Amino acid sequence: MTELMMHSLSPLLIIAFGLVLSLLLIAWHRSQKMILIFTLAIFVCALLASISLLINSTNAIQVTTLIKIDNYGNFALVLVLVASIAVSLLSSKWLTHSVEVHDEFFILLQLVALGAGVLVMSDHFASLFLGFELLSIALVGMVGYCRDSQYSVESSFKYLILSASASSFMLLGIAFIYSQSGSLSFAMALFVNKGGASEVSLFYHAGILLFLVGIAFKLSFAPFHLWTPDVYQGAPTPVTLLLATVSKVAMFVVLMKFWFSQSSLFVQPLNGMSSTLSSYHLMSVFAVSSMLIGNALALKQQNIKRLLAYSSIAHMGYLLIVLMITSQQSTDLAWQSALFYLSAYVLATVSLFMVLQFTQAHHDSELTIVGWSGLFWQNRSLALLIIVGILSLAGIPMTMGFMGKFYLLNVAVQAQQWWLIATLIIGSGIGLVYYLTIIFTLFSTNNITDINGINEKNESLILKPLVKITVVTLIFFGVALGVYPDLLSQIFIKL
Amino acid sequence: MNITLVICSLLAGGALAWYMESVKAQSARWLALLTVLVIVLYFALSITASNLDFNSLQILVRVVWISTFNIEYALALDYLSLVLVSLTLFLAVICILVSWQEIQTKSGFYYFNLLASIAGIIGVFTAVDMFLFFFFWEVMLLPITALIAIWGHENKHFAAIKFFIFTQVSSLLMLVAIIAMAAIHFQQTGQVSFFYQDWLTLDLPSSTSQYLMLGFFIAFAVKLPSVPVHSWLPDAHTQAPTAGSVLLAGVLLKTGAYGLIRFVLHLFPQASTDFAPIAAMLGVLSVLYGAKMAFAQQDMKRLVAYSSISHMGFVMLALFSFNHIAYQGAVLTLVAHGLSSAALFTLAGMVYSRIHTRDLSKMGGFWQSAPRMGGFALAFTAAAFGLPGLANFVAEFFSLVGAYQRFPLLTILAAFGLIGSAIYGMVLFQSAFQGERQGIRANEGISSEIQDLSKRELLVFTTLLALLIIIGFYPNLILEFFQTTSPTLILTDGIEG
Repeated sequence: MTELMMHSLSPLLIIAFGLVLSLLLIAWHRSQKMILIFTLAIFVCALLASISLLINSTNAIQVTTLIKIDNYGNFALVLVLVASIAVSLLSSKWLTHSVEVHDEFFILLQLVALGAGVLVMSDHFASLFLGFELLSIALVGMVGYCRDSQYSVESSFKYLILSASASSFMLLGIAFIYSQSGSLSFAMALFVNKGGASEVSLFYHAGILLFLVGIAFKLSFAPFHLWTPDVYQGAPTPVTLLLATVSKVAMFVVLMKFWFSQSSLFVQPLNGMSSTLSSYHLMSVFAVSSMLIGNALALKQQNIKRLLAYSSIAHMGYLLIVLMITSQQSTDLAWQSALFYLSAYVLATVSLFMVLQFTQAHHDSELTIVGWSGLFWQNRSLALLIIVGILSLAGIPMTMGFMGKFYLLNVAVQAQQWWLIATLIIGSGIGLVYYLTIIFTLFSTNNITDINGINEKNESLILKPLVKITVVTLIFFGVALGVYPDLLSQIFIKL
Repeated sequence: MNITLVICSLLAGGALAWYMESVKAQSARWLALLTVLVIVLYFALSITASNLDFNSLQILVRVVWISTFNIEYALALDYLSLVLVSLTLFLAVICILVSWQEIQTKSGFYYFNLLASIAGIIGVFTAVDMFLFFFFWEVMLLPITALIAIWGHENKHFAAIKFFIFTQVSSLLMLVAIIAMAAIHFQQTGQVSFFYQDWLTLDLPSSTSQYLMLGFFIAFAVKLPSVPVHSWLPDAHTQAPTAGSVLLAGVLLKTGAYGLIRFVLHLFPQASTDFAPIAAMLGVLSVLYGAKMAFAQQDMKRLVAYSSISHMGFVMLALFSFNHIAYQGAVLTLVAHGLSSAALFTLAGMVYSRIHTRDLSKMGGFWQSAPRMGGFALAFTAAAFGLPGLANFVAEFFSLVGAYQRFPLLTILAAFGLIGSAIYGMVLFQSAFQGERQGIRANEGISSEIQDLSKRELLVFTTLLALLIIIGFYPNLILEFFQTTSPTLILTDGIEG
């Protein structure tokens, strides 16, 4: 292993090493504050390392056959780490409620980040599976972390069983692919298959199908989305944020890596080769059904977390459009679009969950949309953060989400996927109903029922200066990157 | 001539008004009024001072904005946008005066939204980079939706969501068409471009241009609105606060017409010529259907809203007859309808502020207690049904004369809309101002003794009526700008002949 490889692997190494150190730290002294600071330090170090890799961007580096570090993966890692930092900050607020020392929560968080890191770097089915399992198993622990909560057992069991079955599907799929290609590397797997006879490729197709089903479970594409709302609702808010951002980003990036390493071969034999068409069709079906089902089911949700769960299903459906490219040249645009869209999605989700955490703390029950009513007149900055986040998810100009959608539409127009475009338009139209309902609730003026309650609420919503700065920064980025997206897209072009 | 400055100062003035309201109550409306008046002054002065020839598009500013997609920040003016921007600024003053007493809650935020939407609309009328155009097109929706959703009437959320979804979905279609045009530009020249004048030089294959034209057409038809996609308008107009209705009817509908002229007709001359019979048919349908529906309404604002659909039908018919006179008529209709519908919605707002209902069956006999208001109401309904001497008459006359040369049968049908407008206009006037005093007879607690116009209201009505009369007697004030324009329209005339 050369120094260059070590260098490019450094973010992952930092997290892995940090994990061991945190275990030692726990053995030495148990303090929640200390472990929080230590976790943050690890994430920040890893973030700095991956940013420095991005700045001195080089060509893709193959580190053993398992891992291939390229700039797109690196950027995804940055996203993952930013989201992890947000999660640890939010959970520090939430975990103070009980007397216990919650070291293990942070250990699990680091494990999730490590798993996500391995996923976005992987170039091989073995490392993919390793990352996948690291991520899933640690997440199961976190989903059920709040033992005394009403939904804790239900949601963690749902997540455990479904994610276990997903990984077994996936494993079987990988085995099928291996049986045909004799290689577990993404690129090699198909290279070998290319010369294969037609009946051989049946197994291979089954393998791809099972593999994609496994991934679809994790990304909650629409026929495999059933776990999402329950788990989102049952998990503690920071963990839901983790599920919504880190896990989705990592899984989608690895899906893209797999897909594009295949598609170079997928596209060439367009003359009647069913392999191209069937995979593309499968993904189109996922995309269309996710967009429609996700948006339609979100319509009637009152619980904000459930609503965001359904909306995340729809967003993953939109994002699938980037896989539909038809030529090798558009891979770069597809990557840029996906990363921009994911960044917008992560930023908006972090914003919304942050507000959720701050407003939820004062309610015993689960937060519904009504709980936010009139927030604009009580706490303007929090409400603005919600508005920017929601508009970003809805894809309205001036927010980052619109540029993400613009990217996606560019990809779709180039690939001439008119049906997907039509579904996207319909889906966004449906989506506006619930997004706008939330925004209108913020402005509602008729909830002033008893004056005492309002006053109390007002006091509890006064933010600490540090939080306020964070809120303003998030609003700033959400709008600035929407109005002047070059800040981000120029980075992508250099990648 | 700096449109960017106008847009920014509108936004800044709005933000200042928002802030100042929390410092000193009632200061927001003064600040808003002051901002708009200063901008009107600036605009008028710089237009008269500038020596640019606005017969063709004059690029005012063009800088790179998003280099990734070669998107530019480009603004331009010609006489069409000049007239519409002036209309917008004028109605902005009216809007603020109309809201003077009506808006009592959260008024700082209200004036911010009002000025922000004006800024967005001015952006729409001047943007010549298509991405920028779309950006303004969407951004102007947000404050207007907020106006409806926060300060609207009883069913405001439904109306606001409906309004937003109609426009958003249709404009996403336009966005796809915009992206496809940029992609075609890339194929033909090797460079992505969203710049309007680059697109004019494109050589579009006729099959794709049909679809692209439709993408634009639907977005603008929704805004105009034209018949199958009009249903957002009665709700949005009815539920919006008075100034919101004035803004919607006076200017927002004009963005649809502007888009049709600037983009559909100019970018896709061949495709629009092919599409013209259908579009003209839709226009006539809008004229007749709008008139019929207006006649059937009991709600004063709804009646005026449907009459807008009817009037905008004339615009559609006139634009798609590719005739110079019709084109002049269409532009004049935009201005005339902007003024007259603004006046009628203001009237509805004033009646509502006095008796707190918009139901025509609960009105009646206002003339006795409010003769001035009645007189103005008569004048404005007369304007709406095209009484000679007022601007609408000239506008509709030109439209029909021009359209007759291309679509004789459709034009004859559309002319029946004029009779319809006289009927619903009289229904409006009679049931509100004539007849028995409803309040006394039905004893519903609604007094028929209503206050006559205050000085502020008198000012609003006098300026509106004065403009309508001036344009009605001397239409060349506006028409002279459009004597030599629209080479594309003449070109298609030639093709057709």
